[in-house]
Amino acid sequence: MTEHPNDLPAPDLPDRDLDALLAQARALTAEDHGAAARFLTGHRARQVAARQRHARTLRAGWVSAALASAAVVAGLTALRPAPALPSSAAYDAYQSALGEGW
Amino acid sequence: MRRAAALLGALLAVSLPVHAQATDADDLIAALKRARTLAARGQAEVTVLFPPRAVPTRVAAALPALPVRPALLLKNFTVVRAAPQTVAGRDAVRFDLTPKVGGAGRWSLWVDRAWNVPLAFEERRADGAVVRRAAFLKVNAAPAKVALTVPAAPAGLRAALTRALPGLTFPPGFTPVGVRPRAAGGTEVTLTDGLNVLALVIAPQDVRGAPGVASRRVGGAFVWLVGNLPDDTLRGALAGVRRVSADALGTFAGPGDSNP
Repeated sequence: MTEHPNDLPAPDLPDRDLDALLAQARALTAEDHGAAARFLTGHRARQVAARQRHARTLRAGWVSAALASAAVVAGLTALRPAPALPSSAAYDAYQSALGEGW
Repeated sequence: MRRAAALLGALLAVSLPVHAQATDADDLIAALKRARTLAARGQAEVTVLFPPRAVPTRVAAALPALPVRPALLLKNFTVVRAAPQTVAGRDAVRFDLTPKVGGAGRWSLWVDRAWNVPLAFEERRADGAVVRRAAFLKVNAAPAKVALTVPAAPAGLRAALTRALPGLTFPPGFTPVGVRPRAAGGTEVTLTDGLNVLALVIAPQDVRGAPGVASRRVGGAFVWLVGNLPDDTLRGALAGVRRVSADALGTFAGPGDSNP
C-alpha cells in the first residue's frame, strides 16, 4: 500500500512533540496582541473615516438640494409675471383724469 | 316762379336746423367759458356710478370741475337745446349733447338763464344708464368768482403717442391732451373728446379686467385703457398695439412727484 505524502502526522514525528507544537501555535504571543491592536486601530480609523465620508456625503446632498431648491424658487420668482393689480388701480388712473371734485 | 319759391323753401328747411344747432352749441360754449370765471355756489348732490365706489353720492358746496375743451366738443358732439326747466328753484336751459360717432357718454347740462353758468350736468351711457350726475339742490343768492383753467394739449402729443404705441387705435373723437408719470411706475395719458375722458396707462404690471377696463400685454409692458366706453371698443383700441416705446413720451411727461 502506498502512503499519501500529506498524510499527517508523519510517521516519524512522535505524538508528544506534535501536541506541544500545536499547543504553542494556539497560545497568544505578544506579537499576536500587537497585530490585533494594530488591526483594531486601523479598523476603528477606517470606521471613523467611513462615517465622516458618509456625513460629508449627506451634508453635500442637503446643501445641493437646498441650493437647487433656492435656484428653482428664484427662477420661478424671476420668470413668473407679477400678479395683476386690482381693477381699483385702473379706476384710480381714470379718477385722476376726470378732474377735481368728482 | 313757383319752382324758385319751392327751391327757396327747401333751402330754408335745410339750413334752419343747422343754423339752430350752431346757435345752441354757441350758447352752450359761451356758458361753459363763463363757468371758468364764475360759478354757482350752494348745496349740490354729486353722484358717481362709474368708476364704482362704496358711497356713490355725496354733498358738495360746488359742482365738480368739468374740463371742457370747446373746439373738440363742437367737433364731436351734436348740441340740442331742450325745453326750459328749473334747477334748485332757478330757471335753467337744458342742453343735450350726443356724440356724432362712437359709443362715448352723452351729456345733459343745465345752464342758469340769468347767470349763464351751469347748475347741473349728467353723463349717461349709450344705453341711457346714468354714469355721473351733479346738480344743485340749493343755490346761494349770487355766483362766486373762480379761476378754472384747462391746460392746452401739448403740440405733437398725438404723434408722440402714436410712436410710443404703434398700432394704437384712438376711439372715435378722442385725442391725447396730457401725460404724467405714474407714481407706481409707468405713464398715464389722458384722452378726451372734449367732454368725456379716458385714461391710457403704460405700466409694468397688468390690471384685472372690470367694466370699463381693458388691458393688454405688449412685450414686457402692459397697456390699460379705462373709461366709459363699451368694453369691446376699449379692447379694440389696444388690439393693434405692436410695441411699447414709452421713451417717446419722455419729454411730454412732467417730472414725477419728489420723495423728500
